[in-house]
Amino acid sequence: MKHRSLYRWVLLAAFSVMVFGQSVSLAQTKPQQAKAQAKAKAQREQRLAAKKLAEDKKLAEEKAAEQKAKKEAEARRAEAEKLQKEREARGEAIEKFHPARIGDAKDHTAVARFIDAKINAKLAVENTPVSPACTDEEFVRRAYLDLTGVIPTLEQTTAFLEDKSPDKRAKLIDELLETPNYARHRADLWMNLLVQKTSDNRRVNFDSLRTWLTGQFAANRPWDAMVSDIVTATGDQEKNPAVGFFLSNNTVDKMTDESAKIFLGVQLQCAQCHDHKFNDWKQTEYWAMAQFFMKVQVGGLGRDQTPGIQETQNVRRNKMNPLPESAKQLEPKFLQGDYPKVTKAEPYRPVLAKWMTAPTNPFFAKAMTNRIWSELFGRGIVNPVDDMVGQNLPSHPELLTGLAGDFAANGFDVKHLIRSICNSDAYQRSSKSIDGNESAEPHLYAKMTVKVLSPEQLFDSLAAATKFQEPTAARAKAKAAGRNAPQGARERFVTFYLAGADMTSAVEYEAGIPQALKLMNSRQTGSSNPQAVRSIVGTTRGAEAIEKIYLTALSRRPTAAESEKLTKYVASAGLPQDALSDVIWAVLNSSEFTLNR
Amino acid sequence: MFSSHLQERTRREVMQLSAAGVFAGSLSGWMPLLAKEAAKSGTKKHKSCILLFMDGGPTHKDTWDLKPDSKGAGDFKPIATSAPGIQISEHLPKIAKHMHQGVLVRGMSSPEGAHGRAKYYAHTGFREGQGGVIYPSIGSIVSQQLGRMDATVPNYISIAGRTYGSGFLGPKHQPLMVQSPDRGVEDLKALVTGSQFDNRVGLLKEMESAFHREYKVDPINDHKTTYERAVALMQSKESKAFDLTQESSATRSKYGSGRFADGVLMARRLVEVGVPFIEVSLGGWDTHQDNFARVQKLSGEVDSAISALLSDLSERGLLDSTLVVWMGEFGRTPHINTRGAKPGRDHYPRAWSLAMFGGGMKGGQVIGKTDKEGAEVVERKTSVQDFLATTCELLGIDHTKENITATGRPIKLVDKPNPFTKLIV
Repeated sequence: MKHRSLYRWVLLAAFSVMVFGQSVSLAQTKPQQAKAQAKAKAQREQRLAAKKLAEDKKLAEEKAAEQKAKKEAEARRAEAEKLQKEREARGEAIEKFHPARIGDAKDHTAVARFIDAKINAKLAVENTPVSPACTDEEFVRRAYLDLTGVIPTLEQTTAFLEDKSPDKRAKLIDELLETPNYARHRADLWMNLLVQKTSDNRRVNFDSLRTWLTGQFAANRPWDAMVSDIVTATGDQEKNPAVGFFLSNNTVDKMTDESAKIFLGVQLQCAQCHDHKFNDWKQTEYWAMAQFFMKVQVGGLGRDQTPGIQETQNVRRNKMNPLPESAKQLEPKFLQGDYPKVTKAEPYRPVLAKWMTAPTNPFFAKAMTNRIWSELFGRGIVNPVDDMVGQNLPSHPELLTGLAGDFAANGFDVKHLIRSICNSDAYQRSSKSIDGNESAEPHLYAKMTVKVLSPEQLFDSLAAATKFQEPTAARAKAKAAGRNAPQGARERFVTFYLAGADMTSAVEYEAGIPQALKLMNSRQTGSSNPQAVRSIVGTTRGAEAIEKIYLTALSRRPTAAESEKLTKYVASAGLPQDALSDVIWAVLNSSEFTLNR
Repeated sequence: MFSSHLQERTRREVMQLSAAGVFAGSLSGWMPLLAKEAAKSGTKKHKSCILLFMDGGPTHKDTWDLKPDSKGAGDFKPIATSAPGIQISEHLPKIAKHMHQGVLVRGMSSPEGAHGRAKYYAHTGFREGQGGVIYPSIGSIVSQQLGRMDATVPNYISIAGRTYGSGFLGPKHQPLMVQSPDRGVEDLKALVTGSQFDNRVGLLKEMESAFHREYKVDPINDHKTTYERAVALMQSKESKAFDLTQESSATRSKYGSGRFADGVLMARRLVEVGVPFIEVSLGGWDTHQDNFARVQKLSGEVDSAISALLSDLSERGLLDSTLVVWMGEFGRTPHINTRGAKPGRDHYPRAWSLAMFGGGMKGGQVIGKTDKEGAEVVERKTSVQDFLATTCELLGIDHTKENITATGRPIKLVDKPNPFTKLIV
């Protein structure tokens, strides 16, 4: 192709020399001026000819490139179809997904019964004994921690324990879903997912995203609408806090990886550089999905600018918006789905968001359902939660499909989903083993999983128990410092606790020696300061004081043996205050405090 | 959050410990048992690594790879060392006397030129954000591979600076941070008197065993283990390793003064009690301006501390089992910039140097070579992975082993290295 156009160019050049030569000979009979004019004209024509030539050449090249691209696209389509057929043949293709309500509209009782039917059926097949329902004391602490991220106060615990109405658990779930702490806890969970803890991100303040998430969860905004806002977010961080997700994941590959992982429950990242080993994702599939983020421009992460996100008409790359070496330019294509009808100049993300959050999307409803399940049970129906395809199979496939179908059919109502699960017997089971289920597989749910408090839950619970309040002066100072503000006590604690990890495990105690030292010996954590003694027991002494400590920190009354032993311990000490502070210290440092049983 | 694989690993570790009798049975005897176990394994000779991290990117042309005849030669003169044919900066005269115990790697070359990303890379051997995984730093890897889970003192200590943590290996392999070595470990002292603290631990012990009787789940054991280790550390004689007042003033002044000198001395004390990995940071190497005065001062700090460390380790018979590494996140430009009256050198990851001492190496060698400007590696280009793998091999760690991330992805301790161990042992 190149050779032929070069040949044509040479021919045309020869021709223009001929024309030029002729015009010179004509001009010989005229005055000098005319001669000059003719020369200029000839030069103009020559330039025009050359320009046309270049344009023709460019056109031809473009046409050829287009044809080549078309051919390649066809080949890719054929390959994609082949891949899909192969997956279908292996039974690994993503199933079509149909939203379907369980019972009436938002019928959480029916959904809870559905959950128990599926869980119990498998337990029966496995012939595994089932632990009884948890006590009210277990339930109140569990519900507060799971739904609001913090243990109940002494007053809240006692009110619940003394309530004699038969439906008090359902009532408590309803109440907790409407508390400000519910939204704050959800925002904590999602901040950990949406904002990566990298060296770049330490320079950006994501408080506005946190505030936005809190507001959205408090208003129970439908999940599809929230995710759509995040995925299509454009503008300044101050005006549109939802851009925080892209600011945190500020390159095309991170945007692709993280949105697939957290919204669709799919691990794509390995396919960025090579075809995925276990899950069969092809590199071309990765980059076809990545195309949707190619035109996203991250800006303002430097000094003195408001960070923001734009979607431009063309793919633009610069220092702030680099492309990884493995990047491929392909036609955008939905994961295991169609090619979208979208022109190159149109913004891509709205099209992606529409596909992603559709009730029939095969990943979306399941991913969120599975995530919420795992927050409540310590493991997903598909576990791990962000790897939901290929050979990683659900423990209860019908349960996942049914729950997700109900979630989608009820307008992606997050509170409805949580309310349904929390009203099930499976959720309200005791975490104590009984004969025969001590070593039952956790995915059978024969007993409740004992979960480890997240750093946020631990800090908030310590603060609640000891009535810790950050000095207002420190808070005001942190606030005034703005973007690079020194962290508040809660954030410092969480950072220290995570110690560089992205989050802690829900089922494994991972804290190390530094964390234990801080909890035992630091003044800030307040586990033994005199203020804690005053705020927890006041002026009460004896068995009553011990009961207050237990109700405050562990949401239960001490057993007779515990009460007797500890009362004696305090009585035999020289200073009851000191002895009470010892009891408080031990209770707050116990594994019972740091676990959600 | 859902690290099933990690969970299995640590659970196994706990079971091994239980099998060893450390945490099995009644809680009443836990402290003596711990001490006994520590004493038993203390007889074996441990390998240790002291990483002296030169934060900011130290200039190679003014430390280990001088080019007196180049364009950007700078002010410093090379001097001869105890290793024939090896010359280093005139401001490292005491280290020069130890050069026969050391290896210079002059062909380092890496892809990251911004501090944050380059430091991450230097510590982990992976580019930050790659594959959506948070990678463990070399200290955490050594802690995981060589550390004893029952050790009184944590297996990875980081002194006088910020470092990189355990990533997906989890908080168990997180470094214990010592910000100011002269003040020791944060929160190591109880807020109450010794006897009151004993009472508290007694109460806690009873609560733990009662709770475990009822619930019998792994996190309770793990929690107990961690607290036992923390309390053991508080009460152990090994924790004296963090107390520099135990050293004579003559020794302290031999190391120099300031956080770095104190940190290096503390590192030696920690090696003596068997800690496998200690990192000590020295900041200030980002010498865009006033390079020569600053590097001269920093070299002085490094010179006293390292030479004192090497002598002390030698005297104690610990030099062969202790690898001492001096490195930063990159080198600095071979030319001198034009920033004002006191110019400096800018970031330069393309060619740089690091130094290694002890660790059972055959000293007095140079690996790799740069061109006459110190701008390009012309012999034995060495990547961060090559260096990390060599470090692993010197410490007796199989770097081809794989760890499994929470999502089931296998990740080699070091990715695609070409170690140079054979050249130096």
